[in-house]
Amino acid sequence: MLCLITGGSGSGKSEYAERMVMRLGKMPRLYIATMYPFDEECHERIRRHRAMRAEKGFETLECYTGLKDADVSGYGTVLLECMSNLVANELYQEGGAGARCVEAILEGVRKIREQCEHLIVVTNEIFSDGIEYDEETRQYQQYLGSINRQIASMAEVAAEVVYSIPLVYKGNPEAAG
Amino acid sequence: MILVTGGCFQGKTSYACETFGIEKEETADGALCPAEELYRTRLLYHFHEYIRRMMKTGQDFSMERLKRENPEVVLVTNELGYGVVPVDRFDREYREKTGRVCCQIAKEAAQVHRVVCGIGTVIKDG
Repeated sequence: MLCLITGGSGSGKSEYAERMVMRLGKMPRLYIATMYPFDEECHERIRRHRAMRAEKGFETLECYTGLKDADVSGYGTVLLECMSNLVANELYQEGGAGARCVEAILEGVRKIREQCEHLIVVTNEIFSDGIEYDEETRQYQQYLGSINRQIASMAEVAAEVVYSIPLVYKGNPEAAG
Repeated sequence: MILVTGGCFQGKTSYACETFGIEKEETADGALCPAEELYRTRLLYHFHEYIRRMMKTGQDFSMERLKRENPEVVLVTNELGYGVVPVDRFDREYREKTGRVCCQIAKEAAQVHRVVCGIGTVIKDG
């Protein structure tokens, strides 16, 4: 099963996605971490997410770019978090896919999906705060929007989390598994 | 406890007053009211502004106290966090904190309503 979980910052979407992984139960579990630790704030956020996964039986794979080369064979359930970081890395990091990031990331998602039983992708709603960003940022929003739409279209389940409450737009997360 | 959320200018407070039979005079504005008002008003709107003020003045919001002293309160808040990560550190912490507090409140709340274009959807009931 492919499942897309979206939501705003601080909406509780990570926690929801982890609960879903636990419920699906298919072992072993792999967490694909995409946040590149630029500074102490990133480290703090990473620490918080690691603590949430502690003792839940996750192995962690750090993947900042080149998702299609990630070897996830043998894993039952894969949780990828977060798509917004992965797109930013592909766009701005040296050796990233740049303007080809949409195709590169979707190819990676398809490859991972083929290798495991369940893939849960956590992404981010960054599209409606009414601020007119600069051209570069608007381009980034466009890439992420395109990726979100295409993953949702491939996915069996798509849900948005609002302050810890899931709003299911596609499929039935309870029936999956 | 009831949480009403949604974007700005969606008619959340009017919706809440009408839905729960509360007069405007019985409400408190989280952007301006004394901190204590949270623990006695029937409805507090601009709850996100209330959280921002508490952060600015180094005070904390107490879930335990709210449950004890004002368990029936209706809280109206903007739904934040739907943009690109803010450049300013305080802005980042503020939207993060508002999210965490609202998750906590949503878990305690008997109902959560989300308002778009003045129309409310009950996204949690019981």
